[in-house]
Amino acid sequence: MKKIYITIFLVSTLLANANVVEIVKGMPYVKVKAHGKTYKIERTQDRDTYLTNTFALTSRPSPPFFIEPFSINDDVETYGELEVLDFLVKKKGLFIDARLENWYEKSAIPTAINIPFKLFLSESKEREKVLKDLGATYNKDGSWDFSSAKTILLYCNGAWCGQSPTAIKALLDIGYPAKKMKYYRGGMQAWQLLGLTTIIPKGAK
Amino acid sequence: MKKLILLLILTIGVWAGQYDKVKITPEMAYIYVYHKGKAVKVHRIQDTKHKLTGEYAKQYRPGQDIQPIKMHKEIQTIGEVELLHFMKTKGNDKTGILVDLRPKSAYKKESIPSAVNIPASTKDDKVKLEKILKVLGAKRLDDGSLDTSKVMQVAFYCNGLWCSKAPTFIKTFLELGYPAEKMLYYRGGFQMWKILGFTTVTNQ
Repeated sequence: MKKIYITIFLVSTLLANANVVEIVKGMPYVKVKAHGKTYKIERTQDRDTYLTNTFALTSRPSPPFFIEPFSINDDVETYGELEVLDFLVKKKGLFIDARLENWYEKSAIPTAINIPFKLFLSESKEREKVLKDLGATYNKDGSWDFSSAKTILLYCNGAWCGQSPTAIKALLDIGYPAKKMKYYRGGMQAWQLLGLTTIIPKGAK
Repeated sequence: MKKLILLLILTIGVWAGQYDKVKITPEMAYIYVYHKGKAVKVHRIQDTKHKLTGEYAKQYRPGQDIQPIKMHKEIQTIGEVELLHFMKTKGNDKTGILVDLRPKSAYKKESIPSAVNIPASTKDDKVKLEKILKVLGAKRLDDGSLDTSKVMQVAFYCNGLWCSKAPTFIKTFLELGYPAEKMLYYRGGFQMWKILGFTTVTNQ
């Protein structure tokens, strides 16, 4: 009899801590280390959560907002949430939030750093610095050599957001290899619709 | 008279401008498709303050795994732009068909225009599946093999990113011999369709 009580106790403690809503079966959450911190990413466990914030808006004025195609380019892979998480856990490269700063500072996907898409559009000191940080070097003729550049994963607000596609296209134009760029099209909207963890980045930028 | 015409042009212009406030792509504000024999205009909600509410705004989805972006290496995943292109071309000339795999009750309430309903549970009903294959243009040959040379292209969807019905059903179709290149997977599904404010129809 005692045994049964102990078992019940153990099971109930386990249940209290377990995530009912898993990312996929057997994966209740993931932990990602970045910027000297550990982030836990999971789905909402609260029965009554509905998307009610600005991402519940169905219709935004065009221009500038249009529905983006599924792929940017045959060689730039489009990611879903599981592929994003795998990228983060396996540290496959740099995770970039390509939105303007005012979006990023309100809420973002954990571990993403903010490089607003506008930075990539034209030559500048800032762009030069970012590209060098990404591992690009100059060729003798002054063009960029991306052979040692990092793989990058970009996202913005979602299917109706052109910011990350614009950044990726600008990078393609200057020779950043398509295979080293990934596009999370679902973005903030799909991420939140799935109840996945977001954060308010501290000291954004 | 001239003034009146000018006013008319202006009014139409403003009205058209208003209508196009929320477009699909820069080139496309709407398309027409056929739903149960009737032409339906597919566009987006024009009220820029409209928010999705109700069942499809729900974030809590226990037991519903997030689905991979690609369900099979040979099955193309598509988004809304590609789906609309499919509906406008293949769907309208009847070389393709959009299939809603959700339960009948969900389909009756609301669906994507031009979609027909094949509840995902049909995958366990061999007789029904055989009938469906026939409707889609497949021929069962005397030796028992399936001639799929003239089958329609099928785009499948279910509830969305957390719905496994479409991937599972597509796998069943692959096992039955339906060619991978004749199938498309709209992963965003009904939820993404709704949250982007696209037209839906009821099927009472």
